[in-house]
This record gives sequence, structure tokens and C-alpha cells, in this order.
Amino acid sequence: MARRGYATMTNDIYDVVCVGGGPAGLSLLAALLTSNLRVALIEAQDLTKSSVLSLPPSKFSNRCSSLTPSSAQFLNSIGAWSHLQRDRIQAYHEMQVWDGVTGARIEFDWPTQGTEKTIAYMTENLNLTSGLLGRIRELGGVDIFESSKVEQIQLGEETEEMDLRSWPVVQLSNGKTLAARLLVGADGANSPVRSFAGIESRGWDYGRHGVVATLALEGEGWGGEYSKTAYQRFLPTGPVAMLPMPGNFATLVWSTTPANAALLKRLAPKDFIAAVNAAFRLSPVDLAYMHSQNEGQDEEYQWRMQHTQTNPRMLPQAVVGVQEGTVASFPLKFRHADTYIGERVALVGDAAHTIHPLAGQGLNQGQADVQSLVGAIEYAVSHGQDLGTQMWLESYNSERYAANHVLMGVCDKLHKLYSVESGPLVPLRSMGLKAVNALGPLKGFLMAQASGSGAKVI
Amino acid sequence: MAPIRPNAATGLRPFLRAAPGIRPPFLARTASPPQLPAQRWHSSVNPDEVSHFNALASEWWDPHGSSRLLHLMNPLRHDFINACLTSQPEARPSSLTYLDIGCGGGIFAESAARLPSTSSVTAIDPTPSVLAIAKAHAKKDPMLASKLSYQQKSIEELPTPEKGYDVVSVFEVIEHIDQPAAFLDKVKPFVRPGGWLVMSTIARTWMSWFTTNLVAEDLLRIVPPGTHDWNKYINEHELRRYFAGKGWHSPRVMGVVYIPGVGWREVKGSEKVGNYFFAVRRDAEES
Repeated sequence: MARRGYATMTNDIYDVVCVGGGPAGLSLLAALLTSNLRVALIEAQDLTKSSVLSLPPSKFSNRCSSLTPSSAQFLNSIGAWSHLQRDRIQAYHEMQVWDGVTGARIEFDWPTQGTEKTIAYMTENLNLTSGLLGRIRELGGVDIFESSKVEQIQLGEETEEMDLRSWPVVQLSNGKTLAARLLVGADGANSPVRSFAGIESRGWDYGRHGVVATLALEGEGWGGEYSKTAYQRFLPTGPVAMLPMPGNFATLVWSTTPANAALLKRLAPKDFIAAVNAAFRLSPVDLAYMHSQNEGQDEEYQWRMQHTQTNPRMLPQAVVGVQEGTVASFPLKFRHADTYIGERVALVGDAAHTIHPLAGQGLNQGQADVQSLVGAIEYAVSHGQDLGTQMWLESYNSERYAANHVLMGVCDKLHKLYSVESGPLVPLRSMGLKAVNALGPLKGFLMAQASGSGAKVI
Repeated sequence: MAPIRPNAATGLRPFLRAAPGIRPPFLARTASPPQLPAQRWHSSVNPDEVSHFNALASEWWDPHGSSRLLHLMNPLRHDFINACLTSQPEARPSSLTYLDIGCGGGIFAESAARLPSTSSVTAIDPTPSVLAIAKAHAKKDPMLASKLSYQQKSIEELPTPEKGYDVVSVFEVIEHIDQPAAFLDKVKPFVRPGGWLVMSTIARTWMSWFTTNLVAEDLLRIVPPGTHDWNKYINEHELRRYFAGKGWHSPRVMGVVYIPGVGWREVKGSEKVGNYFFAVRRDAEES
């Protein structure tokens, strides 16, 4: 197309332009709207899709996240928490984690009985985005460009009055241009903002898919409605986790091979239910056989359970139903951008890092990114600094990069450690789990990390 | 921790400058009313200093260049000015006018102009290339145009205003001036009665000689050699003595220290040994 001068109109100039209206981008906007900054949001999708949570109380979306108390606290501090539908959020207070090969187990529960201590809150992503949008609408003052694709991003030009050669200028599919003092990429793993900034993102694919589904259980959990437990079993193919939702519902996150994922998605409901129950109960050998069957998992499961010893109280309650249309899968990746900042560019959430879902930390990392970036922006603004310049973004990068790196490394190593079926690593890792289980203070430290309330590792 | 001088001055000098112990011109001049020598063009400005800053101009806004420490120090200047304004018994003005003397590339002037509580900033500097850098850089932020104006002038060339400015800032300047007492006399009419004169400099101690001249400039080379003339450094008590009985009150001081890996931090008492901010408030009525 013909070259033209971009963004010489004053009304095209913004302090912060955020690309991406997911949980991270929306949190950033909600946090910035109480300042006097001129802010814009660009979202490729129609935002009504992420703002309407019209499911009945007995139906739950299959995309859920485990929000740590620190994330919840941040959402509360930016005025968004009260906009979430609280009756669709489920707190849990205990974690059961065990090794599928050796059975070694670690139980996480808070030692002090009586004083309620929440490890995390299970929340539908849709509940979160619609709550954030509710807060953003309440505050007003943001220019939202939805159903708008980013056509291209390039640097601005110099004119008689101003020199925007260091300013990213975003051109939308409708022809509109926005010049950004700070361009925030909250635009996901394939971030166009990151590409524009020339920031490499490195990593690998795990060769695993995450299978999700909304499940109905035989009851509200062994501890009843006020004491819920999250379960995770490490299988050689990847961890399978069942996380409590309100009532007798739960959400499944099962990392497994792409072939297994494809099979699980095609199974009839009763066979799918049997496969899930089996994943928490049967031996890896049994499971491998069941995953080679095209159908009939239900019968196979019933038969094999007659020959398997289990302690039901140590396991999630049996799955009795799966909500129609909720079985889905996505490929698992490990990605980490080389840096989160450039001149007038910052990356948050999945644009900066993609993590293995086994610790349920992806969304929380994004919230912590946003909280840190907002802190950097507020410091710059209150001291008259240009909030887009790299020097005043440095604190964000140094605060978050190392913290994310440690967490991502731990999750990656856990995944690899538990992918091993035999050999010297297997007894060692069981010993590790048993040792951790026996050591109260270490367990407390690990739980505090998981709930985001502990002293930071870095 | 050590005082470190972030920017500028005087032509290259031999490895070891005059060592501590020599009384600086400032002390001598505070005793009797300063007499201005006849000047060719700038009375307060040393031509050697001007040429040194000319040479440094291109690095002024490079975040990893020689001015990095100065950029990092800038937010603390605002913290200090805020502390001055909130120490007043009466409410701070809702909007402030600033005069920034020796603005250099505009690090402070730009930041002052960005604050919502600022109505205008006038920034002056005698070094042409530095001012050109400042003007070119201000164009990079469209919000500055309406509030920030630069003038290539020394304080002597600036017409004395009727009302005076709410805040007159003289950051990292007085240690580059040959006759600081005479200079400060000239600055006074630019501060409105009840307004603040805010400055920063370095104490003249063995420590500051060691860190700014020997280590920072000559050994580590993180500050361009020739930036500092230790003999021109001024101690806090010398400033207090100068301002006493001259129509100023409420002197305030804040010592700051650069800690590698952490940044600039206020450290109580460090004004005695290194970098510090100093402010005085002009009396409401002329005495």
C-alpha cells in the first residue's frame, strides 16, 4: 500500500494501547482506568462473547483456571472481584498429588484446622473476563476496538510538530490508526506485538495435548461443600487433574499424547467417563490397554476395577456424567520470550510465556505480570517519566522474568521427571514425594508457593 | 555507599585533579558580598564547561549511555520537591510553574512538564548543542509542547519576571559554576515569594573525591572523564551558611546514594559525604 504519515492526528495518540482482550489484557485496562491515562483496547473477537456468562447454574464452561489468593487479591484491588459471579467460583483447601507408577503420595492441606485457608479459587475464564468487562464498563473511558484485526504495526513518522519515530503505530483492519506511547502485547502465544518488537520466543512442544471437560461427580466431595480438594496424578503420559467446581461438578485437565486425546474426544460419554475414572485408579499398564481400545472402555473399567485395590477416600469421587460439548483439547507448549520489554513495548501473559498447565499457574503468572507492569507505569506517571520508555519498564522485566523462569523451569522438570516409567529415576522420585510429605515445613513452603502467598523464591 | 556523579563538565584534565583539602572558591566568597567580575557573555557560565557538555550531548538520552545514573536519579528529585511542598504549613498550589536552570538535555524539565500539577516549565541552558538535543527530544512526546519551553540562555540573559516561579530548580549545576554565591544571588528574583529554590550537588569530601573523580571517571569510566572538578563541590553546611539571613527559610536536605543493582535511595546523613538535594523557601515578604 502507499506510504502515508501515520498518527499525526492528536486523537489517534494513546498512552497505552493494549492488544488482546483476554484475562491479562482486561485486568491491565481495569487497573489503568483509574489513572488519567488515555487507554485503548484492540480485540480481534466480538467482546460480547467474553462478556456474557449465560450458562445455567448446573452448567460450567470447560475453560477454567485456578486463581491463587494473590491473583484474587489483585482482582479485588482493581475492583473486578465483586463483578464475578461468586456462586460459580469454587475455593479449594486441600491438594492430593501422587505418582501413578509407584503410588507415592503427597497431601497438601493447611495444618491449622478451623481457620479457613484457601489454596486457590477455581473460576471459569468466562466468569473472569465478563467480570473484568463489567468493571471496565463501570469505569468507562476506554476506547474499545473489538472485532478488529491488527493489520500491521510500524513506527510513526516525524512531522513539523512531533517526532513519533519511536512510537508504535497500530493500523486496524477498518483503516483506523492508533499511536501508542506504550503498546502492550496481551495477544497470546502467537503475539503480533512480540513479532513487531523483534523479540524471540523460544521453547518446545511437549508432544502432549491437554484434554479438558466439565464433569459431574457422585457427590460434593468427601469433605462436603466447604472443604474441597484438588487431585492430580502423575501418569507416564502426563498428569491428570480433577479440580472442584461448585456443587458436585469438577473440571478435568488431562495432559496426554495427541493419540490418546483424539481417542478421548471421540468416545461415547459412558466410555469417556470410564476412561477418566480409570485414569485416577488403574495402573499405567491397564490404562495403556484401555487407550488402545476404540470403544468399550466402560466394560473394561468395570472388569479391571474388580481386581484393583483402592482407598476411595484418597481419590476423587467417581465421575458419573460429562457435560455435552465440553470435551476439548489443545496442544501443550513451553515458550518463553527473550525479554518482556522493548522501547514502548511490553508483553504480558501468554505473549511473554506459555507454561505447562500442571501447576495451574499460567493465568496467575499473567495476573502477576499485569500487577507488576501497572506498578511500573504508576511509578513512571507519578514521577513525570515517559511510561513507554524502556528505562521505566525495566523494573517490570526484572521483577517478572526471573520469577516466571523459576516457576516454568520447575513445572517443566516435573513434567519430564514423571514421564519416566522405569529406571533409577522412578524410585528416587517416589522417595522425593514421600520425603516432602514427611517434612512439614517443606510442604508448607510448597503450598505457599502454589497459593502465591509464600515468600517468593526469587 | 558512594556518591556518583551522573553527568557532565569541564575539559579533560590530568588523571588526578586537585586533591581534597584545598578551599573552594565558594567558601571564600560567602564571607563578603560577591562581586561579579566583568563578563564577556555569560557571567555564571564557564566556557570550558560549555564545550565539555557539547561533546556529551549525543549521549544525553541514551538509557545505557553516560547519563544513565542521572536518568535514574530523576524520580527522587520529584520526591524531594514533593517533600518540600508538603512541608509547607499552607496547602500546596494546585498548579505550579517551574524554571529549570541548566536544564541540559531536559531530563528534569520534561518530567516536570508531564506532571498533571504543572502548568508550565521554562528550561534554560547556555550550551547550544545540548539545547538542540533537548528540543529535538521533547518533540518525541506530543504532550510536552503545550507546557514546556526551552531557551538558550544563561540566567543573566533571562529577563527578571514580575511574579517569579513556584519552583526554581538548579540540578547538578552549582558544582560546575566558578562563582556559585554570585550565581545564587542572581537566581533569587526568579523564585516567587513563598516559592522554592531546589538544587542538587555533591559534598566535597574525601569520599566524593575518591568515588566521583578517581573511581567513576578515571578507573571505571562510567562517568566521562573531566565531568567533575572536585574543587567546585559544595558542602551542605556551606549552602546553609550562604542562605542564612538572605530572605530564605525552611532549608531541607536529602542525601541520596546509588546502590548498584538497586538504584538511588535516600540515605539519612549521606548528604555529609556524597550526593544530596538541598532546598530553601523564599520568605513571603521581602526583608
